[in-house]
Amino acid sequence: MDLSEFEADNTVSCRLSSAIPDVCRTEDCCLGIDEAGRGPVLGPMVYGICFCPISKKDDLKGLKVADSKTLSEAERENLFHKLDEAKSFVGWALQVLSPNTISTSMLQRAKYNLNALSHDAAISLVQYALDCGVQLKELFVDTVGPAEKYQEKLSQRFPGVVVTVRPKADSLFPIVSAASICAKVARDHAVKSWKFLEDLGDMDADYGSGYPNDPKTKSWLLKYLDPVFGYPQFVRFSWSTAQTLLDSKAVPVHWDDDEEDGEKAAARKNCASMLSYFGRGKSQSTARETHRFFSERRLKTLDTL
Amino acid sequence: MKRQEVTYRTPETAVEGERSVQRMSSNGSVTTIQLGSVDQADRPQVHLLPCEIEQDGPAEVSCYFTCAVKDRKHEMSVSFRGRGLKGQEVSCPHGYTGLVLKEDHKPTTDQEDRTVRVSSIFSRFTYWNLETPPNSDDVVVMAMAWPELAKAIHGSVDD
Repeated sequence: MDLSEFEADNTVSCRLSSAIPDVCRTEDCCLGIDEAGRGPVLGPMVYGICFCPISKKDDLKGLKVADSKTLSEAERENLFHKLDEAKSFVGWALQVLSPNTISTSMLQRAKYNLNALSHDAAISLVQYALDCGVQLKELFVDTVGPAEKYQEKLSQRFPGVVVTVRPKADSLFPIVSAASICAKVARDHAVKSWKFLEDLGDMDADYGSGYPNDPKTKSWLLKYLDPVFGYPQFVRFSWSTAQTLLDSKAVPVHWDDDEEDGEKAAARKNCASMLSYFGRGKSQSTARETHRFFSERRLKTLDTL
Repeated sequence: MKRQEVTYRTPETAVEGERSVQRMSSNGSVTTIQLGSVDQADRPQVHLLPCEIEQDGPAEVSCYFTCAVKDRKHEMSVSFRGRGLKGQEVSCPHGYTGLVLKEDHKPTTDQEDRTVRVSSIFSRFTYWNLETPPNSDDVVVMAMAWPELAKAIHGSVDD
């Protein structure tokens, strides 16, 4: 699988795709959606779709695709190779969401959660297939969040397509298994050959699976924590694993939109907490207020350094 | 790296060749700024971030930050601690130079005289907004207009 387009800029989201088989433009097709790398604190999350004519479902079954999680890495590579060989009737497309995209989306002012991000990635891929002229009639999806709601959302978004959202769809429907293999192969490659844009010298690339409970991942996160910048962009800052480590080991960083409250935050912001009015504190200083022109520009007279 | 603290000096306050600028504070202690090092001072890229970082000291800026800055179609973007930033470069007001001052020996009481030296100088810097694209209403951009205005207010009036 050629990931060079993503590797050219691994800080953004990228779409990779196979050629569209001609037969998919003329015959009714089924399409499967699955994702890889949703849980890990490291690396990209990959959404994948795979599609083929409904009449070719048995041929796909003949390739013996199965849920990617039950396969070894070598078996997945082998199956991806087989899918590639079947390109006369099987097509695929992937959306690679970089860890930086995930972090900045989830930590955005207007929060954009992982479910919404996932749904949007899936929807954009299906739309891509439609835009390419794929005669889509059946859609099979592994569930993200509550199955009924997602099914309703997709049915509304794609009228005329029969949508089946099912937990464990990747082991029930071969077309979903095929999508899961494409996604997982891309995720494996991206993680294995991650090009750090940060100059970390002789970096130890032994970061394990990337799952928060993997001891190798844990010790890597401890080793590569920078007190100011936190982590390289390979890490999903929005994961609680990363945040907990930063909270305890990195210097605190405060943003305008931080949701902190109470006396401590008020003291830091140099304004009075509600509680201070009940205490017998010092009387407020009666310094002359500066003109709005200066306060709006945050200009201050300095008399000491 | 504290937010919104950029220090300027006007060229008039230090005559060419003069070694230092002194200032007496209200409690009688004297702060001396050694300007002898201005010519040798390095000229790093300076970034003003839209957050408060509880750190006053060296940081791996080029390794983690500068390397990740993207400059496309006059819009600069980067991320810090997983948050998206958008920025632009601004110049110090005409006739002004930005100074980064370093105090090698921190005073233990506020009565003591203090000496600071110029560790680096800058004539432009990049300021960053949290997610919002930079525009002319940004506080830093507006603040840069003050010296011009001050000159107009305090200058002599010609008939």
